[in-house]
Amino acid sequence: MSEQREDEELTGPLGRATRLLQDEPSPRAEWREAVLQAAERPAVRPLGWRVRPAVAIAACAACLITGAAITYGVLRDRMGSGARDVVASENGSVRQGQLPVRFAVEAPGAVHVSIVGDFNGWNPVGLPMHRLSDGRTWEVEVGLAPGRYAYAFVVDGRLSRDSSAPESGTDDFGVPNSVVLVGGS
Amino acid sequence: MLVRAVLAGDPAAFALLVDRHAPACLRFASRMLGNLEDAEDVTQEAFVRAHRALARYDEQMRFRTWVMSILANRCRTALLHRHRRTSRVVIDGAAVDEAVGPETGDAELRDAIERALARLEPPQREAFVLKHVEMLNYDEMSAITGAGVSALKMRVRRACDRLQVLLREDGYE
Repeated sequence: MSEQREDEELTGPLGRATRLLQDEPSPRAEWREAVLQAAERPAVRPLGWRVRPAVAIAACAACLITGAAITYGVLRDRMGSGARDVVASENGSVRQGQLPVRFAVEAPGAVHVSIVGDFNGWNPVGLPMHRLSDGRTWEVEVGLAPGRYAYAFVVDGRLSRDSSAPESGTDDFGVPNSVVLVGGS
Repeated sequence: MLVRAVLAGDPAAFALLVDRHAPACLRFASRMLGNLEDAEDVTQEAFVRAHRALARYDEQMRFRTWVMSILANRCRTALLHRHRRTSRVVIDGAAVDEAVGPETGDAELRDAIERALARLEPPQREAFVLKHVEMLNYDEMSAITGAGVSALKMRVRRACDRLQVLLREDGYE
């Protein structure tokens, strides 16, 4: 489109009609007075909530994400959702690039003990532990790639942190976790 | 300058600003919203907001451009809310008669162009009104709408083409 056409005066019916639109309304005296009074009034915040649609959508999204994160964390910690990447060898075997890490817990009288953690998606049935001959110690060896892992024991369905290891300072949602550092080569 | 006088606490100066710019603001808003009642509401809001934000007014810009940018935002918000409720075209019959006088032909043509305007997408309507009703240049339009000059030229052109088609459908060849 040429510059001339852009600034061209409109002709024909559209030109005539547009000129009719150029009539300026005369402000009503009451309206003018209302404007001046409203402008002089100090700004007050409305008592009720007024939320812009975009803000409302963002807030809803934030709530959903937060809710999902909490649900995910609780499920992960309490039930083991398998949602996280499993980095441990199954059945405790050690693969190339992994180091054997032995976990042990004293749980006299327990019937079933397993270990859950970052390395197995917090799956409570993925890594069962074995009772030793003393009848009170349970252990399992897990192949882990170098890294930092939070973990906990599940003793007869109840989560228990490893009292001999540092407590995980994050991401525990109230569940007692421990942390193990697996060194690299 | 009037703005400085308002900031210095002279209430009469703000009244002068309103008197000077309200007619064009009401015209723009009524072309955007299709009726004078809604136009008065948004224009009042725009002036009140302008008054409260006057300290932030940049004197490099014409006051009319600045207040129009506030008003254009209020119109967009009003259209958004209205769109959620229902689409409507309101023709203020009394205002039409008063504005165009006894010439029936003009009244009909005005009726037709208002209906056609109401059928444009709001960004096209806004660009057309700023260009051909408010007679602003593209730099001022860009400052008001926040859109680029090229985009505005395209909107004006499409608006003109569409309005011509709609007027033709109404029998205005």
